[in-house]
Amino acid sequence: MSTRKINAGPGSASRPESRPESSPEPRFAPDALDRRPVRPSRLGYNAGMLVVGILFIAAIYGTGMDVRALLDLPASIIQYGRLMASGVFQIPDETVAGYWSQSFDAMFESVAIAWVGTMVGALFSLPLGFMAARNMSPLPIYVVVRFVLSVIRAVPEIIFAIAIMLPLFGFGSGGGGALAGAMALGVSSIGTLSKLISEAIEAVDGGPLESSRASGSNHLQLIRWAVLPQVMPEVIAIWLYRFEVNIRASAILGVLGAGGIGSLLSTVFGARDWDRIGIVLVVIILVTMVVDQISAFIRHRVIHGARIRNGGGAPQEDDDDGGAPTPGPVSGASVEDDPAPKSTRAAAGL
Amino acid sequence: MITFENIDVVYPNGFKGLSNVNLQIDKGEFVAIVGLSGAGKSTLIRTVNGLVPFTSGTLKVGDEVVDPRSKAKLRRLRSRVGMIFQSFNLVTRVSVLNNVLVGRSAETPTWRSLLGWYRAEDKELAFKSLERVGIVDKAYMRASSLSGGQQQRVAIARVLAQDPEVILADEPVASLDPPTAHKVMRDLRRIQQELGITTIVNMHHLDLARSYADRIIGMRAGEVVFDGPVEEATDAVIEEVYQRSLTAEDIVAGDAAAESSAAGDAAARDSATEGAVTERSVPAAKAQD
Repeated sequence: MSTRKINAGPGSASRPESRPESSPEPRFAPDALDRRPVRPSRLGYNAGMLVVGILFIAAIYGTGMDVRALLDLPASIIQYGRLMASGVFQIPDETVAGYWSQSFDAMFESVAIAWVGTMVGALFSLPLGFMAARNMSPLPIYVVVRFVLSVIRAVPEIIFAIAIMLPLFGFGSGGGGALAGAMALGVSSIGTLSKLISEAIEAVDGGPLESSRASGSNHLQLIRWAVLPQVMPEVIAIWLYRFEVNIRASAILGVLGAGGIGSLLSTVFGARDWDRIGIVLVVIILVTMVVDQISAFIRHRVIHGARIRNGGGAPQEDDDDGGAPTPGPVSGASVEDDPAPKSTRAAAGL
Repeated sequence: MITFENIDVVYPNGFKGLSNVNLQIDKGEFVAIVGLSGAGKSTLIRTVNGLVPFTSGTLKVGDEVVDPRSKAKLRRLRSRVGMIFQSFNLVTRVSVLNNVLVGRSAETPTWRSLLGWYRAEDKELAFKSLERVGIVDKAYMRASSLSGGQQQRVAIARVLAQDPEVILADEPVASLDPPTAHKVMRDLRRIQQELGITTIVNMHHLDLARSYADRIIGMRAGEVVFDGPVEEATDAVIEEVYQRSLTAEDIVAGDAAAESSAAGDAAARDSATEGAVTERSVPAAKAQD
């Protein structure tokens, strides 16, 4: 204990005002310095930082990047920004209004592709999620489904679109390309959605499962009444989040010929039509942001909605409902009871 | 009638949960099982409905021999044996009524369960069960909006909806405050007397065991070390079971709700922490072996 006091802090001994004048013994024992811990080596950390820096520089030179181009960046931003802004901010005559509505139509096609893809993914991901959850499915099914899902996840949706879906369903906006895009998004959504859902299922509270099992439920009944009610809000949030991701992905797939805003973007890019490019970009950003906001709002409601309703709206009910409302703030703890009047207890048959 | 003959339970990790348990529990009896944490109370109760499979011996519930390996038989057995838990184990996001209807699972075709389309007579039984525990007015509320005592009574209603021959209760009042604990115990006792259901309750609190049970079974280290009517379970006998002297923690505060609430709260907190300790110390005990 005494050594702790001596080691109170660096420099504490040299500060005369901190030394109590009445105490005769010196606060600084001669061997105190020996007892201080040695500063741990930072060699590993420093070496790590060095390696990261070397890799960064090596990557730049290895790929032949011309870093000096960055110096021209501000100028080009202004140049192209002005070109695009001139398209966005011009008073829309008939042609320009046509550009705008064409962009919105194409963007809504992209959103529709993303929605169909998400629905396909959602439909398959729920059963697959259960099969990929260790606490819900037998080991052989679990291993096989996990493996298939990880293969799906390893293939980017762009590859699905180029290599499988576009050759199958055809290119171009409206029709084949859109279907191909939706299917590519759907299949690749299955991979991530099922994984996330299976993790949500593995994290459920085991209590309701045990009680459900104890009342003689079979496996499907257990899933329906003990697991699904617990995971559904999270599952819906996962689906919606994937929808947000799919909107961006479907814009990219369009560039490859899957229809939607991407097709339009690649057309106007081919023509170096900068004012139209500006319009397309504004539409993409605008619509994506709006859909993101709506989706995020719904996700938040789905996950936190119940708690808000319980905390604010309906206070915890009084036991036996004796008629007298509980005074004062409602305690958060779930263990609470009231001294119910004898009469109501008798009425309740207690 | 439930008969244990030389029942052993060895967990997969080698921990011996029960060793050579011989018991006979008559129909309609109210039995309290007391013992320290890790003494095998929960294991004993869970062998009855097969949640913990016993590894040797013979266990009979009624005329039926329990076979932990047959899933179909276990389901049939579990439909006759209801169970309530310390942490209530309700599905908090669905309504009280749907929680109670889970008790009808064994009697309901799977497709009806999946659609949530229960038969009218099953719903009627669920409502009757809720009426029996006095919370029928909460039928359409989410289970999460109920207090602890109410949730435990929903759990009792779920068990009643099974129309069981046996009720198993694993520390049913350990996470409740003293007045509520008494209320729930009174409910269990009344149901046992009215319906003649064999009731086996794990207990932490000696005074509750003495005031509600007909018979007390003391357990230590997986063995039954005392078995007798309440009158025989004197302090000295229980101290022998516990291998220590009795402390204030072994009793729950009195029944009267009017009693100083501060003391009640303290006791409730005590019992809550005690319950938590039980939960945690069981795997710890397993690990030690």
